[in-house]
Amino acid sequence: MNILETQGLYHDFSGLKVLFDVNLQVEPGERHAIIGPNGAGKTTLFNLITGTYKPSRGNVVFKEKDITGAGPWKILRQGMGRSFQITSTFDRMTAFQNIRLAVMSTRGIRFNMFRKVDKMQNVTEEAEEILKRINLDGERDIQAGNLSYGKHRSLEISMALATNPDLVMLDEPTAGMSKDETHYAVELIRRLTEGKTTVIIEHDMDVVFSLADRITVLHHGTILATGEPCDIRDNQAVKDAYLGEMGGEEDVCY
Amino acid sequence: MMNKMLKWILWLAGFVFLILYPKLFGIYYSNVFVTFAIFALYATSYNLLLGYTGLLSFGHAMFFGTGAYGTALALTHISGFPLIPALLAGALAAAILALILCPIMVRVGGTAFAMLHLAFGGLMYVLALKLRHITGGEDGIGGFDIPPFSIPGIVSFDMTDPLQFFYFAMVVLIGSIWILWFFTKTPFGQIMIAVRDNAKRVDYLGFRVPQTKAVIYVFSGAFCGVAGAVYALFQNLISAEDGFHVMTSFAPIMLTMVGGIGSFFGPIFGSAIFGILEELTTRYTERVELVFGLVLIFVIMFAPMGFVGTVKMIKEKWFTRQGV
Repeated sequence: MNILETQGLYHDFSGLKVLFDVNLQVEPGERHAIIGPNGAGKTTLFNLITGTYKPSRGNVVFKEKDITGAGPWKILRQGMGRSFQITSTFDRMTAFQNIRLAVMSTRGIRFNMFRKVDKMQNVTEEAEEILKRINLDGERDIQAGNLSYGKHRSLEISMALATNPDLVMLDEPTAGMSKDETHYAVELIRRLTEGKTTVIIEHDMDVVFSLADRITVLHHGTILATGEPCDIRDNQAVKDAYLGEMGGEEDVCY
Repeated sequence: MMNKMLKWILWLAGFVFLILYPKLFGIYYSNVFVTFAIFALYATSYNLLLGYTGLLSFGHAMFFGTGAYGTALALTHISGFPLIPALLAGALAAAILALILCPIMVRVGGTAFAMLHLAFGGLMYVLALKLRHITGGEDGIGGFDIPPFSIPGIVSFDMTDPLQFFYFAMVVLIGSIWILWFFTKTPFGQIMIAVRDNAKRVDYLGFRVPQTKAVIYVFSGAFCGVAGAVYALFQNLISAEDGFHVMTSFAPIMLTMVGGIGSFFGPIFGSAIFGILEELTTRYTERVELVFGLVLIFVIMFAPMGFVGTVKMIKEKWFTRQGV
């Protein structure tokens, strides 16, 4: 049984075919990486799954429920969190307030206008605990827009995770990071997504091969191959289209 | 601990100041103060949209005017209508108008939001002018009886007495501003600020953006209505010119810009600045707008964060210099 399935997904932007016949299958508990060259339609696929756009054709099934065309807020409440390629936090709010909003969402605190949010002790505690877990407790009261790039990205990723989703969709979590920052972010992701189903778009092949349990290769809007890292590495079609010869230095497969 | 004490002392000092104000400055300046407070409330409720949710409206006078007309009409047509229900009638009228408009307004943003408000604001202005049998046309509605504020069998305050009206207006206006302040501190207030920063992410955190905006919109409209209602009671007259004119729509924008756009108390400072300016200017000339315009240009060019923002900046600079 798959936790997430796309069934014959098509999408076009006013005539420009971006995706056709995409059948993605994500099993519960796995880290599933989606790779592919620029313009392959990875982010569009994410946008269709998480509700930004409605697909032209096909279905998105999440936890055996059809969520095709539902809005992002509805999909999140079903238990799917998402982070963005371009950092998308509340930049004029502090790191703490950013996380607190996610905590509020999890607890269903939405139209509450009769209590001060500062007085909600359990919300504050949970948000602070999350900040500690991502090593941002020192930056608690710094505006998100003023955080260093690496920390800002950490905040971005952990906001997707702070709602405690069953499935996390990470859109290039290490985009634009330096080598050290990437290394740190990968460790963070590994730690935070322990035991959670994760779908991750990534360009950095080191990251992909160290994190992913399974890989899907997207090319020209359709799935070229799906399989375990070793199979993907050895797949001739994938080599031709995207990976090229990866040399012999990695040894994950042996 | 010390901070809390200081806060209470400041509150107490403000309270005593307000009680003594009419005695210290006389009735004329009490009335100036009431006008200031009305516009402070008007601009503060407007700032819920502009400063907190990031929506610029060019037609908020329609809520101010609807509130004023609501109260005035209730008092004109229903004899013996008590004061508080009359006030609430104004607020309710404005809230209903906001409720009618919100399905459209929450789905547009930016320029469309601003221009739609300009259009509907203009429409309300023309309606107030043309529906003479209801609104009295250009003359407006005036001379209605102002009922006393009374709790039957206990007390009764005569609202035609400027001194007693001053206290009544202060309680209503400051109370309303306090409610708005509290509103920004609630979880919902946090979502409101988040919508300004990044509506897409709010959606992706499981909050419904249009519904959130709608609640803020109605809230803002209702409190603009309260400001309008107090204005009608205060002037004992409301005309299309005062209630719905486009200048009335621009007033809160101006007050918020000059006072400080990113802060809750900015519009209140803005209202104070313009109140004082108007008082000083009218001593020499009728052309108040000339001075207002110059001040607005000056602020936009040299202090875009407004009064509160500039004070904050100076304070920060001063402290860093101390640190170095």
